[in-house]
Amino acid sequence: MPVAGRKQKPTAVELESATVVSTISGKEWELPGAWNRMFEQRVIWDYTTEGFEKIGALPGGESLEWCYGCSKCVPVCPVDIVGEYGPRKIHRKVQMGVDLFRDDDLWMCTTCMNCLRVCPKEVDMIQIMPAVREVAVGEGLVPSELQDVFEKTFRYGNCLGENPRRRAAWTRDAGVPVRVLASDPAPVDVLFYVEDYWSHHPRGQQAARAFARILTALGVDFAILGPEEKTLGDSQRLAGEKGLFESLMDDVVATLSRYRFNRIVTPDPHGFNALVKEYPKRGHTYDVQHYTQLLAPLVAGIGWKRELDVTVTFHDPCYLGRHNGEYDAPRALLQAIPGVRLVEMGRCRENGYCCGGGGGGMWLDGLTGTRTTERLSERRVREAAETGADVLAVCCPYEVSRFEDAAKSTGNEHLRVLDIVELIDEAMGNGAAA
Amino acid sequence: MQQGGEMQQGAASPGERVVVIGGGPAGLEAAWGVARLGCPVTLVEWAAFLGGTPVAENYAALTPNFEDAEAAMQRMIDRVSPHPLVDIRLRSQVTAFDEREGGGFTVTLSSAGDGSGTSTLDAGAVVVATGFQHFDPGRETQMYGYYEYPDVVALQDLEAMLKDHNVVRPSNGEPPERICFVQCVGSRDRQIGNEYCSKVCCGVASKEAIEVRQQLPGCKVFIFYIDMRMYGYWESQIYWPAQEQYHVQYIKGIITEVLPKDGKLLVRGEDTTMGRPMEVPMDMVVLSVGMEPSLGTRLTAQTLGLRQNKYGFIDAAYPPLDTVSTSRPGVFACGAALGPSDLEDSISSAGAAAMRAVVHVRDRSSVTAAG
Repeated sequence: MPVAGRKQKPTAVELESATVVSTISGKEWELPGAWNRMFEQRVIWDYTTEGFEKIGALPGGESLEWCYGCSKCVPVCPVDIVGEYGPRKIHRKVQMGVDLFRDDDLWMCTTCMNCLRVCPKEVDMIQIMPAVREVAVGEGLVPSELQDVFEKTFRYGNCLGENPRRRAAWTRDAGVPVRVLASDPAPVDVLFYVEDYWSHHPRGQQAARAFARILTALGVDFAILGPEEKTLGDSQRLAGEKGLFESLMDDVVATLSRYRFNRIVTPDPHGFNALVKEYPKRGHTYDVQHYTQLLAPLVAGIGWKRELDVTVTFHDPCYLGRHNGEYDAPRALLQAIPGVRLVEMGRCRENGYCCGGGGGGMWLDGLTGTRTTERLSERRVREAAETGADVLAVCCPYEVSRFEDAAKSTGNEHLRVLDIVELIDEAMGNGAAA
Repeated sequence: MQQGGEMQQGAASPGERVVVIGGGPAGLEAAWGVARLGCPVTLVEWAAFLGGTPVAENYAALTPNFEDAEAAMQRMIDRVSPHPLVDIRLRSQVTAFDEREGGGFTVTLSSAGDGSGTSTLDAGAVVVATGFQHFDPGRETQMYGYYEYPDVVALQDLEAMLKDHNVVRPSNGEPPERICFVQCVGSRDRQIGNEYCSKVCCGVASKEAIEVRQQLPGCKVFIFYIDMRMYGYWESQIYWPAQEQYHVQYIKGIITEVLPKDGKLLVRGEDTTMGRPMEVPMDMVVLSVGMEPSLGTRLTAQTLGLRQNKYGFIDAAYPPLDTVSTSRPGVFACGAALGPSDLEDSISSAGAAAMRAVVHVRDRSSVTAAG
């Protein structure tokens, strides 16, 4: 280790064994290979303010420097528990000269907001990360898997790269008629904004059909945009593609302006977040509900046909719970279903653990997989299994596929992952959801 | 009504004199308070000027409000000097202290200034406001090289430069591009014997860091600390602005040695949150020295026979609800003579000491009148 010596960067020595000879006594030491790793640079040679200056100059980026190192964020960061990452650590790394714009850490944050919830200095990763990512995106410093999703979103209007003409394909097997506004543009009460995963993903489509059946049974007047619907793109925004988000917004607003509806109801907490937080900032205000908020007050009118006899635990979506404060509507629905026994996981509601899908995490499995001991979804599924539940209930379209994969990879296949609407649908007698 | 009678007795007769020892912020406040309560007061100051350490050590601005230190002290002096009940004795010290028969004290002063030699005063009560001195970094067990390297300075040295608007490296007269502060120098250390926290150094260092950034916007400022102790409002008055508005870099981990290298100073320590050693070049190193009892506090405590704690500060005899009474009835202490203290607390305890000194004098007066 150089002590006030020349600042030459030491190189890693990974010999199986090495002999070190003292220049003073001539004594020799045999060192095994593991020790030789210690010759990698240990010493911190400088601290810099440049990173803070660069990030602080971005709108929303100034609070990174406010961190005073209390570390309240790290224990609640969903990533740190499965990998070496946390907001406080980001602050220290930038202070030590790490270029966040070019560092893998930039893509680890799921924008779950649990750090901001506890931060005494209000260091706001929900603004910092998208701001830095936006610059990185502009400089082409994007993981290719994420870039691929950006391109698909740009080209097809959905993150899955599906043919937009097939946006309403799920309705065919719904068993109830689903009105598409383009072909029947009469005013409607509820504009059901289906979003990508319920439109195109096979497991999401099952939930969409269940939801359509429930709405029909409740006599709700609803319709969809069908092929005209594009994703709201909130996760793309948080992953750094603000330009894409704004361009999508122009399209969405233009489409919506052609129809008359009372409210927008969406199953996607990310889209919900965009509509209630981002759209009004640009002058577009709608009456927006998450589907659980639409159904919760109507639950007494549901004609139950079957008692399910299941123990259910519920995973709070970050963008419904922490970001938008809705914890009760999903639980009200679950508790109304005959035969459902709701058990909570240790981390729930305000402290709910993130599934890993937010802020672009949905599309960064390749990068995060190399830097974490397990997926966040796997961690969460193990927590769910520990409750003894038969069913892990969700109400975010990202989660069914994430958690089903995780249930398999962690050996918890007995745990059924179901959207709340699938459970309701099942208890209404509409076939087995699993 | 008996009490009212006492009050009138006290107000009608100026009563006995209160002697205040020490002309710094606490002494000036105590003397002003005693005089405004209607008692004659003699203010005894060792130095040739009033204002105490903020003036003697060339403080630039007061913590936490950045008020010009000399102007603020002058304001305190101007309140006291012209008061008809105040008698100021500069370049004077208490050399003997005797209990009078029937109570009260005889205070013997030795005055160097006016050639009057020794004189005696009758005092009904005494307030000791003899303050602190900065820890001498030469005694530090770490290898900071305060007396070896000109660019290693202490808080008060930087204060003087800030006051002159001339922050330069003493070695070459050039403005520094990188300054660091090293916290807890001479404090919280069993080996040195100062196990206490000096309370003010975190705030003063952060205040000076802000001033450096104001005077030299291009200079990078670092603070190496064990833990930041900016209690109460100082947290948001100094610490947060230093970090958020002035971009002072706080690094948790203390420096344990300073070494010369290529015309700069290499500070070595451990970055404790990273768990890694650090060797970082600096142009100047500022040692955040703590507080020790001043020589005046030590000598006065001995002369007056006041109990001192193991660190040499005067013991408050009945804490926590009486912060200013000493082991000797009729003698009160305030400010940093009692231990590490910021200006806000010094002024507060000076007010309490003045009040208790006047009460003591008046209680005696009423007893005397009744007898």
